Amino acid sequence: MTELVERFVALPGLFSASPIFAIGLTLCAFFAGNWLFARMGRPLWMPPVVLSAVMLAAVIAVLSVDYVRYQEGALWITVLLGPATVALGIPLYQQIHHIRAMWIPIVVTLPLAATMAAVYAVLIAWAMGATLEVLASLAPKSVTAPIAIGITEQLGGSVPLMMGGLLITGVVATLFVDLLAKWLRVEDERILGFALGLNGHAIGTARAFEISHTAGAFASLGMGLTGVFTALVLPLVFRL
Amino acid sequence: MSMLRGFLILVLFFLFGEALRLVFLIPVSGGVLGMILMTLTLMLRGRVSDALASSSQALISILVLLIMPGVVGVFFMASQFSGQWLAVSAALLLGTFLSVLTTLLLMKSVLRLSARSQAND
Repeated sequence: MTELVERFVALPGLFSASPIFAIGLTLCAFFAGNWLFARMGRPLWMPPVVLSAVMLAAVIAVLSVDYVRYQEGALWITVLLGPATVALGIPLYQQIHHIRAMWIPIVVTLPLAATMAAVYAVLIAWAMGATLEVLASLAPKSVTAPIAIGITEQLGGSVPLMMGGLLITGVVATLFVDLLAKWLRVEDERILGFALGLNGHAIGTARAFEISHTAGAFASLGMGLTGVFTALVLPLVFRL
Repeated sequence: MSMLRGFLILVLFFLFGEALRLVFLIPVSGGVLGMILMTLTLMLRGRVSDALASSSQALISILVLLIMPGVVGVFFMASQFSGQWLAVSAALLLGTFLSVLTTLLLMKSVLRLSARSQAND
């Protein structure tokens, strides 16, 4: 009987050698996070990915699965991020008529605003004595996750730190857009959507779709263009 | 089948992006290069095939799942960046506040200017 229990307790260690265990764990946490998110009434300040990640981390810690080993197995999932990034080109193409309709405001605002989104964070962290690795992880904080992962890897930052910063940025950007838009009396849905997508990537875009379809379209556009612009410019600037 | 065919197109664009990055030493990820090539190709063709639309939709809808293994890492590196958490939090909170403010003010004034110039025409 005790042998049976011993073998049972040893299971997680044996399982974690196989990628299918990491895939199963990640899928479980994904669905559990979505379920809990719906249960909580879809709160803006707590995106489902945070709920899923907390649960996943807890399970990994409780089963004492080696985190590095989990990452190796989960490579079967993360490797899909490459084609998924390419897939973002399709909605971007579908939003492109918005650029034709108001290209002057977009061409003037986007490069400056997207640059400042990175510059403010890097300057503040640098002034407070953060290391180069931390700065490289903070720079793509307003960029949508699949693109930001590529940027951080190119800059030599830490992907987990960047992901944490990305999530916090998405949530606070959504709150700040609501707050500042009231204060500045900005009511144009195109501006609100654009600001949400540009600063708050996918989390801000989700909020924009709650305002209206127009706001959502401009958020997708802002998110896509910020991603492309930052991915092209940041690695060149960071080299200096 | 059709979804798989769309997936193949995405994979080929990704590999093409990676090839460009490695051959020309471009400091941009292969995924982003593939995405730009994809958008340009679609602009030239003027339409999206059903296979491509359905498989890209499928991948985008599970993006959260794809980034989760990366997000979980946050909880396993607490000691690695000790002493820098204050700088990180300040950069995220204050930095995001300033960048939202910049975007709103910039967009508001540019839209007002372009509306005024259109009224003058």
